[in-house]
Amino acid sequence: MSERDAMSERDAMSEGGGRALEARTDAEWTADHATIDRLADELLPALVAKLRASGLGEIEVREGGWKVRLRMPAGTNDREPARRAGAPVRTAGALPGGTPGGASSATHAAAGHASSAGGHAAVAAGARGSGGDGGRAATHAPRPRAVATSPGVGFYAPGPGLTVGGRVRAGDRLGAVDVLGVPHDVVAPTDGVIGGSYAEPGEAVEYGQELVRIELPGAAHDGPGTPEGDGRDTAAPYALAPDALAPDALAPDALAPGPDA
Amino acid sequence: MTVTRVLIANRGEIALRILRACRALGLGAVVAYSEADRESLPAQLADEAICIGPADAKRSYLSAAALISAALVTGCDAIHPGYGFLSEDAGFAEAVRDHGLTFIGPPAGVLERFASKEGTRRLLASHGLPTIPGSDGMLRDEGHAIAEAARIGYPVLVKPSAGGGGKGMRMVRTPRELEGALPVCRSEARSAFGDDSLYLEKYLPENRHVEVQVAVDGSGHGIHLGERDCSVQRRHQKVLEEAPTPALPPERRAELCERAIRAAVAAGYENVGTLEFLVDASGEYYFIELNCRIQVEHPVTEVLTGIDLVQLQIRIAAGEPLGIRQEDVQLRGHAIELRINAEDPAHDFRPQSGTIERYLPPGGPWVRMDSHLYAGYEIPHVYDSLLGKLIVWGPDRDAAIARAKVALDDLVLDGVVTNREFHRALLDNDVFRDGAVTTALLDRVGAGAFLASRRA
Repeated sequence: MSERDAMSERDAMSEGGGRALEARTDAEWTADHATIDRLADELLPALVAKLRASGLGEIEVREGGWKVRLRMPAGTNDREPARRAGAPVRTAGALPGGTPGGASSATHAAAGHASSAGGHAAVAAGARGSGGDGGRAATHAPRPRAVATSPGVGFYAPGPGLTVGGRVRAGDRLGAVDVLGVPHDVVAPTDGVIGGSYAEPGEAVEYGQELVRIELPGAAHDGPGTPEGDGRDTAAPYALAPDALAPDALAPDALAPGPDA
Repeated sequence: MTVTRVLIANRGEIALRILRACRALGLGAVVAYSEADRESLPAQLADEAICIGPADAKRSYLSAAALISAALVTGCDAIHPGYGFLSEDAGFAEAVRDHGLTFIGPPAGVLERFASKEGTRRLLASHGLPTIPGSDGMLRDEGHAIAEAARIGYPVLVKPSAGGGGKGMRMVRTPRELEGALPVCRSEARSAFGDDSLYLEKYLPENRHVEVQVAVDGSGHGIHLGERDCSVQRRHQKVLEEAPTPALPPERRAELCERAIRAAVAAGYENVGTLEFLVDASGEYYFIELNCRIQVEHPVTEVLTGIDLVQLQIRIAAGEPLGIRQEDVQLRGHAIELRINAEDPAHDFRPQSGTIERYLPPGGPWVRMDSHLYAGYEIPHVYDSLLGKLIVWGPDRDAAIARAKVALDDLVLDGVVTNREFHRALLDNDVFRDGAVTTALLDRVGAGAFLASRRA
């Protein structure tokens, strides 16, 4: 089905990065990440600038076994995508199994409370609804983070390598959603650290549902605009322009502000 | 085959219509929606709503896997496909069945049997329905097409075997026009339906479109529910439908309907369906196609008969007997449906988008508005332009027309340009009032002339 086509395209886009976390040896992991770091440092800033300046919708560059594609999210200037990204998920907790993780936005917010410091919960929850355009949370910049969302309707199975605090790279497979027996990969939209999960293993999930929270490497800084790579190996210089990096199928929803900080 | 909880695999007004039918039958209903329809009324009103994919219909409303998975994860035991999208897709119906779910519509095998228009014409001709002279099978190549057109006699209509809505269809008057039309029709048919097989049909000028509503249960008990006249069309898109048809006298209408239901039962049709006919200037009718779905204009028949066709679909699919005898079907008075579309009649019916600022449906006796609009609703530009259907009933045609005009004035709908002015002009038009509109009339006269005739 076309959904599968989209997935394979996504895999191809991130090449080695699209494989399962657990399938790589340490040496491969190191080599991959060295390459990604180099591409990120050398190539991406130039590409981002070029994409912005050109007014093009998409730029793709191939180098060695890697392919880097930047795409402006469709309708970047519309209110629509932002609003959709922030809109509450409406599948009720009435899903079979009635897992505690439910799928209502209320349950999500609650899950966020439980797994976090909690201080910004109310503020961030407000940002979800308003999409940040003049809403209740307009004065609070969202903490830098990204969310891996469900690629389809089905049952969620987190990958065995998925642990809170684990480091991931954009394109890493975090788990899968089983759609009629066919696994569809849940993919990290950006580099970062696993911050928590919004869904339980085996839970019924809908398309676009938030599944895994990823804290971005720039989290220590406040707000967008800290592009200076500071030498730390965890800090990706482009972490705060993630919508330009996200695979197309994930943008812009992947960047929905989480319910909590 | 019990049905207790239905996944509604469609959007807009028909999703709402199905939701209401489920509620009235005491069934649970889950609305499957695409990201573009998150704020839609059916998604808001459903017992439960589930996002199945992005706005692109290929990955949402046309994705069999997404829809079936959505039904399974929400605990549904049936899927209602509505109209359009996957409603007549035999492969989808089969997949639904293979996952232990009930497809609300004809069984997969029946859809398969009637999938080809050309095959259906032959089948129903063998069961006694007159058909328009046409090509012998699908067109193999240009030479075959030209030979067949010469045998049938120009003008001829080039038609795709799959699909509808006028895509891939052309009227040609000469072999040269035919040569030019073939590649265009093939490519249109391929992109619209994934099937580029074409056939020829004799073109009947000044024809009317009359269709017979039938319902057949799993044991082969069938009834007809009268006919509908859908002659008011613009570029093969229906604009206004009414019943009974002004094109045929009562005894001829009864004969048409009886022949239609006999042929449908004999050919093995099951569930609710529609047999379309062309009626020529002399009142001869020719079978053209069988639609294996609920139709947009089904409310015309509902208000004429008092029978809920969507409930009937669900009950038949669940294996229940029809429970209605032909003599129970009483066709009373006259019904008219106006399709209210987001399109600008003053600018070649260009589709409009925008946000509904105010919306109040018309009311009063025998006025029905099937619509998914609400104030604040943002019309997604990715789907069709149908905003709603205004249906009125009257004891006779003149009374129905008078009521339609009042209802049209009553309708409050601000924020987006609609074809309301066009309907006003139509209801005042002499040709329409005489019941003499033919399918090609609007395109020949032009919408502008209709609008101007009202202003004068």
